[in-house]
Amino acid sequence: MLNYLGLIPLFPLIGFLILVASQGNMPRRWVPWIGAGSVGLSAVLAALVGIEFLSGSLEPYRQTLWTWMRVGHFASGFSLYLDALSLNMMFVVTGVGFLIHVYSVGFMADDAGYARFFAYMNLFVFAMLVLVLADNLVLLYLGWEGVGLCSYLLIGFWYENPENGAAARKAFVMTRVGDTAMAIGLFLLFARLGTLDIQALLNRASAAWPVGSGMAALAALLLLGGAVGKSAQLPLQTWLPDAMAGPTPISALIHAATMVTAGVYLIARTHTLFELAPAVLQLVAAVGAVTLLIAGFTALTQRDIKRILAYSTISQIGYMFLALGVTAFSSAIFHLTTHAYFKALLFLAAGAVIHSYHHEHDIFRMGGLRKRLPIAFWSFVIGSAALTALPFTSGYFSKHEILASAFHAENGFWFWAAGTLGALLTGIYSFRLVFIAFFGPENERASEHLGFAMSVPLILLGALALLGGFVSMPLGSVFPRSEPGELGLIAGIFTDLAPLVGVGIAVLLYLLRTYPVEALTETRWGDMLHRFWFSGWGFDWLYGKLLVNPFRWLAAVNSSDIADDIYRGIAAASQYAHRAFAATQTGQLRWYVAAFTGGTVLAIALGILS
Amino acid sequence: MNADLVQASNLWPFIAYIAAIMVVIAAMLVIPRFLARPSRGRATGEPFESGVVPVGDIHVRLTIRFYPVAIFFVIFDLEAVFILAWAVAFREAGWIGYIEMLVFIGILLAALVYLWRIGALDWRTERQKLQDARLQI
Amino acid sequence: MITTTDLLALLPLIVLSAVAVIVMLAIAVHRNHRLAFLLTVAGILISLITVPLVSDLVPRLITPLVLVDRYALVFTVMAYAAGLVAAVLCWEYFRVREGHQEEVYLLILTALLGAGVLAAAHHFASFFLGLEILSVSLFALIAYPLREIRALEAGIKYLVLSGVASAFLLFGMALVYAETGTMEFAVLGGRPGTFPSVIGTILILVAVGFKLSLVPFHLWTADVYQGAPAPITALLATVSKGSVFILLLRYGLESGVFRVPVVSVLLALIAVVSMLVGNFLALRQNNVKRILAYSSIGHMGYLLVAPVAANVVGGNLAAEALLVYLAAYFAMTLAAFGVVTVMSPADREAEELDDYTGLFWTRPWLATVFSVALLSLAGIPLTAGFIGKFYLFAAGSQGALWMLLGALIIGSGLGLYYYIRIVFQMAQAPAALQARPEARPVGAHLVLAILLLLIFGLGVYPAPFIDLLHPEINVPKQSAAQQ
Repeated sequence: MLNYLGLIPLFPLIGFLILVASQGNMPRRWVPWIGAGSVGLSAVLAALVGIEFLSGSLEPYRQTLWTWMRVGHFASGFSLYLDALSLNMMFVVTGVGFLIHVYSVGFMADDAGYARFFAYMNLFVFAMLVLVLADNLVLLYLGWEGVGLCSYLLIGFWYENPENGAAARKAFVMTRVGDTAMAIGLFLLFARLGTLDIQALLNRASAAWPVGSGMAALAALLLLGGAVGKSAQLPLQTWLPDAMAGPTPISALIHAATMVTAGVYLIARTHTLFELAPAVLQLVAAVGAVTLLIAGFTALTQRDIKRILAYSTISQIGYMFLALGVTAFSSAIFHLTTHAYFKALLFLAAGAVIHSYHHEHDIFRMGGLRKRLPIAFWSFVIGSAALTALPFTSGYFSKHEILASAFHAENGFWFWAAGTLGALLTGIYSFRLVFIAFFGPENERASEHLGFAMSVPLILLGALALLGGFVSMPLGSVFPRSEPGELGLIAGIFTDLAPLVGVGIAVLLYLLRTYPVEALTETRWGDMLHRFWFSGWGFDWLYGKLLVNPFRWLAAVNSSDIADDIYRGIAAASQYAHRAFAATQTGQLRWYVAAFTGGTVLAIALGILS
Repeated sequence: MNADLVQASNLWPFIAYIAAIMVVIAAMLVIPRFLARPSRGRATGEPFESGVVPVGDIHVRLTIRFYPVAIFFVIFDLEAVFILAWAVAFREAGWIGYIEMLVFIGILLAALVYLWRIGALDWRTERQKLQDARLQI
Repeated sequence: MITTTDLLALLPLIVLSAVAVIVMLAIAVHRNHRLAFLLTVAGILISLITVPLVSDLVPRLITPLVLVDRYALVFTVMAYAAGLVAAVLCWEYFRVREGHQEEVYLLILTALLGAGVLAAAHHFASFFLGLEILSVSLFALIAYPLREIRALEAGIKYLVLSGVASAFLLFGMALVYAETGTMEFAVLGGRPGTFPSVIGTILILVAVGFKLSLVPFHLWTADVYQGAPAPITALLATVSKGSVFILLLRYGLESGVFRVPVVSVLLALIAVVSMLVGNFLALRQNNVKRILAYSSIGHMGYLLVAPVAANVVGGNLAAEALLVYLAAYFAMTLAAFGVVTVMSPADREAEELDDYTGLFWTRPWLATVFSVALLSLAGIPLTAGFIGKFYLFAAGSQGALWMLLGALIIGSGLGLYYYIRIVFQMAQAPAALQARPEARPVGAHLVLAILLLLIFGLGVYPAPFIDLLHPEINVPKQSAAQQ
């Protein structure tokens, strides 16, 4: 069974090729069968492969599909690598991916670009599977760029609106900054260690570099750059909220469940390298802690339902980075998995709400949806509960592990405190969303019930979000230690109570309205803080002033371009050389013979003189 | 390369010799310009002042049919050369040599058949062929 | 003494010679274009079939003249396959033209015979014989359309210059022989580097450089490429150059001349100059056949990296790089000239850039094949050309030939410009949708499809091809111990 591994990424690729080859001429009713069916096949196969793998010895399984080229000592192959970690990611990508595909069948049913949408989605699943299954960093990078491309295409899916195009470009450029760092990191690793095969590379790294060596730190730092860009962490987080311009299933699949967690996967995959650089690990934890707080505060003030969820995604990935930084790798992956369940659920439910409101995003224009959209409502409640980490939901187990691990790490108190404060914020902003959108006075504009294709994935994901915490991968076979230490009594109480307190505050402020929030935001300081948080802590403004404007200024100053002169010079020189050499092509035989003889004389002269 | 460049210094007599030739040639070309009086004799412009005066155009056009004749001659001549060489070593070459020669002559024979069939052995000009054709009618 | 096994090992050459005689007799008995074509195709196919039969018998030295080994056989297959393609293209090309067409196939067969001899040559005599069989066939092929003034001009130019080159070649061989007293490559290996024999070697390399159209012996290339009929140019560009290159590497490795410092410096210089000059010449050219001619100068320069690197990286990697690049080069060059052939109407050749304007709209299939061939020539990843260039790069960087690699990069950059220019020309809107007389050349399209598959196959999944190409060139021990 295991040797069918290679087929899992193949199905979405075939689906993509079929959809592209049909050039939109395919009958509409066939499209979902190919688009969702291919991913469904992958999911079934992944489940079968997974069962076989888990019932075995958990030894990593490697499958070489083919060797692309082998020249001298350099060999580059397409080989896949399956261990508990990549199996876990594969389950998430195919399982959650399949549910989202099914949901899209209903959600996108009226869209003109139906086939195009599924083609991109299939390509994305293929690239993501390549990313998580890759055995060497070249292939991983290929998948990495592939998902980036799909993300770009899908954010700008409704390209008629220039704003969407701008959002897509922003996402592409911002992640590109990280990707460049990562590519440099790959070159560095190859130059120093002579291989890009992940397992061999990690072995050689730990053999060649002592803990704390500068080279290991540099390599880890460069990889972190890539991870930060892809996972929308500080300082490259600003693209993710704008990426919500894409269709909602995209936000669920790419910008919540899978692609944005690729950075977490990358660090977990190369954790040996990061463990050689404790300082970088501390940085990872710090980035995670700061990001989760900033994003949490920002989420408090947003009005757009998808932006709230986007900031909460950034915040939750912050938790994962925090866990990675304190070497609780399996906790990070566990949270990644549960997050995929409940965040996909939340996005899909949000999609249902937006769908029934005819593309209304502002939560303050919604209300009373509780009765009208019961499935979406209950999905939202379950998702928010898991997101908030209310006891015995899936999010509770994973977040609890992270905070417990953080508590015992170096500088752990601060990381724990940040995480706990973040948990409080999570409680507030998630239930603020629930209370404002689903309670209160009923808004008449909402219409229609959900179709079959949209409600079934919601129910299944809801079940996963509730119960997913009781199942976890045997990640201990991959990572060195996965035992989260026990929290002390007081810290434990704080940890478990923080989300409940957050929900309580939300109840007071937004459900019972015992204390009007408006009073708070209308004070001078409150207003400033509100606006500051609303703008995402001014990062876009800062980057605008710091980078974009100087760049525009430079471009304006340089519009007649100094750098271009170099290229024009090269072009002119090439033209000149061309004309000079072309002049020798006279077409006269006697000149040809003379030149031939002249060349011979030169060659002989070289022979004599040397 | 360096070792060879060092070796090149052993070549200095050769280089000096070439340089000397250059100097002498240049002197022979330049000195008469200053010393010689311009003379305009009848034969000054001729290529060979003391040779046979060339007559007629050098671009003599021979009919193309002479070339096949020449080529055939060369081919069959060469064939004869090979056969002669074989005949001299006939006993040493043995059966294998005999078979090889059969193959060789066979291929030449095939070529002859081909030449004959495409009319390469027909020496007549196009006009003669036309006349002959007319006569036959 | 020749044994039966020896004859068996020579089977690919013997069968081809027999086919040539049969085709000649067939023409003599019944002059028919289709018959000659079918006989030729069948003959080449049979010769190809004999190769796997022979491959168990090699390596085998048959008389001092010929060494049949895997290296030779691999190239023989490539050359015969290229000949097959050229024959099919000739069928499409000459079918719609006037005059006697049957002899083309005869000459293609003899050219292939020459290439086969060259690939297996192990001795100056077989070297010269192979080269002349090939060249003489090419003279006639280039000037084949007797009423075309440019074809005649090209033929005469190639004839005269080849004569000069052969004279140099013979004189060089004579010098080497006078010094060393032997003409066998492997025996030469013991004594390289003495004075007259170095000059002789250089003269031999000059002649080889002429055949490969390396700068400064390249001036004939564009005129001959342009003048010759397109399918013949394809044959000239692939079989002729490839076989001479195969010979150059074998000669250099076995006789040890690559290890003579002057020779390797000379080769490196020629390589650099060829890469640069060839690509510069192609830059603003408007004639597609001339562009391809100049680009071939550059490509031959790239290929020289393999022999120059052979000193350091060893004969096997150099031979592998050479064969892989040649295989890629064969596929993409044949595809490009194949498109030119199919595009050419009966009264002239489609060689101007303007003939290709808007081809993507009028004949998308041809445009696709042409674009892929051009992109492959430019060395874009996932095409055969990339793999070939990658091999040369690997060989060059292992040999630390940075100057050569620098020139290779510059040359490739320049190359991209003029290759893409043709692609752009094809992508432009067509001036007017003139209805072209569609003769449906099925054979040519089939050949183009196979070449397209090859270019992609070699680019995407090269491993099995490379295993097939694995040469195992024979480098004698005593020359390795030299120096």
